[in-house]
Amino acid sequence: MTTLLVAKQILLTIYSKYEVYITPLLKFLLALITLCLINSRLGYMETINRMTVVLIVALMCSFMPMNFIVLMGAVFVLLHLYTFSMECAAVIGAGFLLLFLLYLRFSPKDTVVVVLMPLCFLLRIPYVVPISMGLIGAPTSAVSVACGVIVYYMIHYVTQNATMIAAMADEETAAKFKFIIDGLIKNREMVVTIAAFAITVIIVYLLRRLSIDYAWTIAMTAGAVVNIMVLLVGDLIFEINQPLLGVILGTVVSFLLVLVLQFFVFYVDYSRTEKVQFEDDEYYYYVKAVPKVTVAKPEKKVKQISSARSGAGRSTRPTHH
Amino acid sequence: MLNEERVVLMTKMASYEARDGKKCLAIGSYFRSDYIGWQVLKSIISATIAFVVVFAMYIFYDFEIFMTEIYKMDLLEFAKSILYLYLGTVGTYAFISYVVYTIRYSRASRSLRAYYMNLHKLSAMYKNEKKG
Repeated sequence: MTTLLVAKQILLTIYSKYEVYITPLLKFLLALITLCLINSRLGYMETINRMTVVLIVALMCSFMPMNFIVLMGAVFVLLHLYTFSMECAAVIGAGFLLLFLLYLRFSPKDTVVVVLMPLCFLLRIPYVVPISMGLIGAPTSAVSVACGVIVYYMIHYVTQNATMIAAMADEETAAKFKFIIDGLIKNREMVVTIAAFAITVIIVYLLRRLSIDYAWTIAMTAGAVVNIMVLLVGDLIFEINQPLLGVILGTVVSFLLVLVLQFFVFYVDYSRTEKVQFEDDEYYYYVKAVPKVTVAKPEKKVKQISSARSGAGRSTRPTHH
Repeated sequence: MLNEERVVLMTKMASYEARDGKKCLAIGSYFRSDYIGWQVLKSIISATIAFVVVFAMYIFYDFEIFMTEIYKMDLLEFAKSILYLYLGTVGTYAFISYVVYTIRYSRASRSLRAYYMNLHKLSAMYKNEKKG
């Protein structure tokens, strides 16, 4: 454990030292992965399905605000869909527009969830997002998570039914339109997932705010269990036939990932909890202070061995006042 | 001579200005009613666009059926029901954004108050140093 703590300390030091470079690098990687995944799933438009274009856009994203990645992702998806079928682009574009107008316009801090959610879906660990947003976010994060789920299922539906949509004749605009909208609105799996994730976010948030020992661990575990339960109950009621093993395995892997997050964000020593009371002119304070677990980074000692006389070695060292 | 307390205060204030402060200072430059009114107006506009988009989708969804039935139905009644629906949607959305932006404004002004207090403290420190 001590080695891990030292590693964490070193990582944090490196991050704080090179933050100026690391943050753009992370943004660049996120944009790169997002755009590459979009291209691999929907690569209908040749012009933007090239590595050079992706690299240039990702580079732009690295020094723009985080929301720019969301915007670029949406633009890429719409351009691909436009090449594939006008109707698809219109419906999905309207969906994006609604999400933007009704929710993302409030520019919440967790807009990036809208990108992370589909990514995690593709990695088969979507459960990591609601649990961690409950831990580090607010109850309103449930809406961001829901937006992410909607975005994923919209794109997923189009990719799954691509052959069907392509097979419809060009004249059948109205039929295509109806087919796509039907698929999006009557997608029970999406509704169940949104419900499960929203409930998970709120339960995790409520539990981790409690003033009890191991609140974070309890919140995470409860969140994972509730997530599986709601998904299963929804599965039974709406007969979706989600792979049970996938849900459980995905949740377990997500739980482990969130443990890593907890280690970095909230690693405290409950055995040294202190409870203090004091007062000032206006309030009484009942304070519970839980110390964070930290270790001092082992200092490297450099022993200078020189063949020169000891007096000469000492005089070369700079002195600080 | 460096005044450590002053440097700490200045660093804190500079980091506030660079992070949360930027938004708060922008919000603080409005009067309360102006800020909230402007934001609610923007919300009403976006809700209107959203409503138009949804309505257009609704019409397109059953375009043929809609076109055949348009001659039979009572257009005035239809328009009325759409109007009520529109007012309901926009009203709800405007109310939600009113609540959100009221909370945001009061939060921003509270944090700005703390910031200005620190500013006073800083100028007092400078004055004291000049005297000393």
